[in-house]
Amino acid sequence: MDKNLEKGREHPLSVIINNAVKVFTELGFSVAVGPELEDIFHNFDALNVPKDHPAREMQDTFYIKGEDGKVLRTHTSSVQIRFMEEFAKSGKKPPFAIIAPGKCFRNEATDATHEMQFYQIEGLLIGEDINLANLKGVLSHFYKKMLGEDTSLRFRPSFFPFTEPSIEFDLKYKGRWLEMGGAGMVHPNVLEACGIDSKKYQGFAFGPGLERLMVIKYGMPDIRPAYHGDLRFNQI
Amino acid sequence: MKVSYNWLQNYFEEKLPEPEKIADGIIFHSFEVEETDKVGNDTIFDIKVLPDRAHDCLSHWGIAKEISAIFDLKIKEEEYKTFEPKQTELKIEVQDEKCLRYMGRIIKNIKISESPAWLKEKLEAIGQKSINNIVDAANYVMFDLGQPIHSFDLDKLTSSKLIIRNAKAGEQITTLDKKEVNLDESVLLIADEKDPLVIAGIKGGVKAEVDNSTKNIVIEVADFNPVSTRKTARKINILTDAVKRYENEISPELCEKTMHAITDLIVKVAGGEVEDIVDVYNEKQEERTVEVSVEYLNKRLGSNFTKQEIENVWQKLKFEYTEKQDNVFEIKVPVLRLDIIGPHDLAEEVIRILGYDRLEEKLPEVKCEQKANDLFTKILYARNKLLTDGYSEVMTYVFRDKGEVEVLASASDKKFLRTNIADGLKESLKLNQLNMPILDLKEIKIFEIGTVFKKGKEEMHVAFNVKKEIKEMLLDEFCKDMGDVEVAFKELINSVPKLNSEDKFNIWSVYPFISRDIAVWMPESEDPENLKKILKEYGTDLMIKEPYLFDKFTKEGRTSYAFRLVFQSYDRTLTDDEISEIMAKISHKISENSSWEIR
Repeated sequence: MDKNLEKGREHPLSVIINNAVKVFTELGFSVAVGPELEDIFHNFDALNVPKDHPAREMQDTFYIKGEDGKVLRTHTSSVQIRFMEEFAKSGKKPPFAIIAPGKCFRNEATDATHEMQFYQIEGLLIGEDINLANLKGVLSHFYKKMLGEDTSLRFRPSFFPFTEPSIEFDLKYKGRWLEMGGAGMVHPNVLEACGIDSKKYQGFAFGPGLERLMVIKYGMPDIRPAYHGDLRFNQI
Repeated sequence: MKVSYNWLQNYFEEKLPEPEKIADGIIFHSFEVEETDKVGNDTIFDIKVLPDRAHDCLSHWGIAKEISAIFDLKIKEEEYKTFEPKQTELKIEVQDEKCLRYMGRIIKNIKISESPAWLKEKLEAIGQKSINNIVDAANYVMFDLGQPIHSFDLDKLTSSKLIIRNAKAGEQITTLDKKEVNLDESVLLIADEKDPLVIAGIKGGVKAEVDNSTKNIVIEVADFNPVSTRKTARKINILTDAVKRYENEISPELCEKTMHAITDLIVKVAGGEVEDIVDVYNEKQEERTVEVSVEYLNKRLGSNFTKQEIENVWQKLKFEYTEKQDNVFEIKVPVLRLDIIGPHDLAEEVIRILGYDRLEEKLPEVKCEQKANDLFTKILYARNKLLTDGYSEVMTYVFRDKGEVEVLASASDKKFLRTNIADGLKESLKLNQLNMPILDLKEIKIFEIGTVFKKGKEEMHVAFNVKKEIKEMLLDEFCKDMGDVEVAFKELINSVPKLNSEDKFNIWSVYPFISRDIAVWMPESEDPENLKKILKEYGTDLMIKEPYLFDKFTKEGRTSYAFRLVFQSYDRTLTDDEISEIMAKISHKISENSSWEIR
C-alpha cells in the first residue's frame, strides 16, 4: 500500500467557489444558504416580480408537478429574501453582508454556455449608505482577485424587478469585453417585503454565474463536461 | 424589436451619428443591441427593449426619444393634420372594464390600393409584409408609436355600433388567418350587435375584414388590461405584435396621438371623409409626480453630481420639473413612462443618461458582523477530508429518469430530481474506470457532495466509493467530528489553495485512446529520465501525455521502471497497428543500450 497517499483532485467549480468565498470573506461578507427547491414567494413574489407579468418569463422556470407554488430556484436571489426575513425577525439592524454560492436551475436548451443546472454567487450588502459606486468597487475587487489585476469592469443598463437601478456588467479580460452578469441596487419593495426600512437602509445585490467565471479563468470551451462526473475535467 | 436607422432619422432635423455610434449609445445608455445589419441604404438594429421600458420603447418614436436624450439631439414632434368636425353615426358601448379606453372613428369613401413606395419600403425594412394601404398604415403607425390599431369594414357590420364585451360560452370566431377559435367568458371581444369581430387586443376576425372592395372603415385605437390580454393570448396561443405591446401595459393616453397619426396617414394614402372621434375613456390615467433630491441621488449612486448635471438629465429626457426647494426636484412623470414610480427609478435615469462610466470604484467602508455558515462549512470540511483521503470530486446531474419529485414542462426524458447521489456516482465510476490509463490514477476514488430531493424535503448528502460499492450518507452524519463551526470555517477557508494564473484547461479528444505499458530494467544508479526521454521522443505527437511511472522496484543492482504510455488523436480513431509500430521503434531504441533490458 502506498503510504504517501496522493491527494484527490478537486472539481474546478469548487476551486472557483472556495476562492470566491475567500475573497468575500476577507471583505467582511458571511456565507448564507437556502433551499434549491423553493417556493414562489421567495423565488418571485418577494423579489418584486409581479404575477402574470412578462418579467416572470425572463427565466425559464422548472415548476414541480403536484406541488403548486414550488419551483427549482431560478437564481440565488431567493437566498437574499430568506436571509433578510430572518435578520429582520431577529430584531437586528443593518449593516449586513452576505455571499451565497448555490445551485440554480433553468428550463432551457443546453449548449456550450448553458446548462439546466448551474451555480450563481449571490452577494448582498445593505447598510445606511451603500451605493452603486460601492457595487462597482466590490465587483472590480473580486474579479481582480480571481482573474488578475489586468481586468477592468464596466456597467450597462439592464432590468431586474428586484433592483433599481439595474445593471449588467462586463469584464475586460485579455483584451476582450465579456458579459459577466447582473446586479443593481436592491429595490425598496424587496427590502420592505423582508421587513427592512427602505427609507433608512439601501444597498446592492449581484448574482453572476460561476461557470462563466470558471470557463474564462481556465479557457474552457464548453461548460457541459462539468456535470458528467468525468475526472478528466479535474485538471486544475 | 427591429428598428430602422432611416426611420429614426425622420425624427431629427440634424443628421444622426453613424449607425455604429447610435448602437453604442443605445447599448451603454438604454438597451442591448443584439444585431446591427446593413440592408440596402438602411441599417436595421435589433434592439432588446427591456421589459420595464416596453411601455414606451417598443416603437421608433420611443427609440428616437432615447437617442435624443443620449446624444442631446433635438427631436422633431410630428404635426398631424386636424379635420373639420363631422357628425358620426358610430356608437361604442364598453361593457367591461378590461377595456381601458376605446376610440373609434369612421372614415368614408377611402380607396383601397397598394401602398406608396415609401410606406412599403419602411415596413419591409423591419421585416413586415405589405398588404394594402389601410393595413399598412395601421402597421406603420404601430411600429412608429407603439400603439396597436385595428380597422373594420363598416359595411360588413350589422349596424354602426361596436360593443366591447366578454364572449359567451360556446361562442366562436374565425380569425384573419382562418383559424377557428373557441371563446369563453374570460375573453374580451369587440363585437357588432350580432357577432364577434375581434379578440380584443389580440387578433381580428374575418367578418369585418378590410378587403379590396372596402369603401368605408372604422378605425379602432384602444387600450386593454395587460394581464387579461396576456392570459387570453396564452390560452388561445396567439401571440401578435399587438399582444406584445398590450401585455406589457401601455398608457391609455397614447390613444389620442395615435388616432391623429393614423387618420392623417390614411387620408394621405387612401383619401376619404373623416368623421368625429368617439372616445370612451372612463378612468383617466392619473398624473404622477415624483420628488427627488440631489442628495438622495448622490447617496444612492455614490456620485457627486451637481444640481446642474441632474437638471440636464431631466431636460434631455423632456421631463417637466420644478425645483420645489433648494436641491429638491418635483418631476412630472411623462404619461408613457409607466415604469417611473419612485425616486429610485429616477436614480436609474440619472446614471444611465450621465453614463455608468462616471461611477468610481469604491470599496465600502462598512463593518458587518461575520458568522460562519453551518452547511457551507460542513461542505468545506467533508470535501477537504475526502480530498485528503485521496478521493477526487465529481459533480453529476440532479435530473434523473426516476425519483419522487417531478418537474413540469421539461422536454427531457430526465424529469425527476435525484433521490440519491449513488446512481449518478456509479455511472461516473464506470466512466472513470474506462479512462483510468489517461487519468494517471492507480485506483478510481471519487465523491460528490450535493442535494437530493425526497417527497417534501431536500437533503444534503455525501457519497463516495469503496472499490465498487457506493457509500452515501447525510452530510451532517459525515461531519459529526467537525467541531466548532467558526474555528472550522476559519481554518478551512484560509487553507484554500491560491488560484494560479498559469492554470489552463485542455479539452480532451473525443476519439478513443490506446494505452500500452512498458517495463525496463536499468542499472540502479541510472536516472530513469534517460528512459523517459526516449519514450517521449519516439512516442510521437500521438502520445498525449507524459509517460506515467506506475511501478518501480529494485533487485540485484537493477531497477525496473514500468511506464504507461497513452496514445490518442484529436482527429481520428487510432489503429492497433500504428501503435504497435511506434512501440516497436521504442523497443528497438531501448535495445541499443546494452545495460538496459525490456522485461
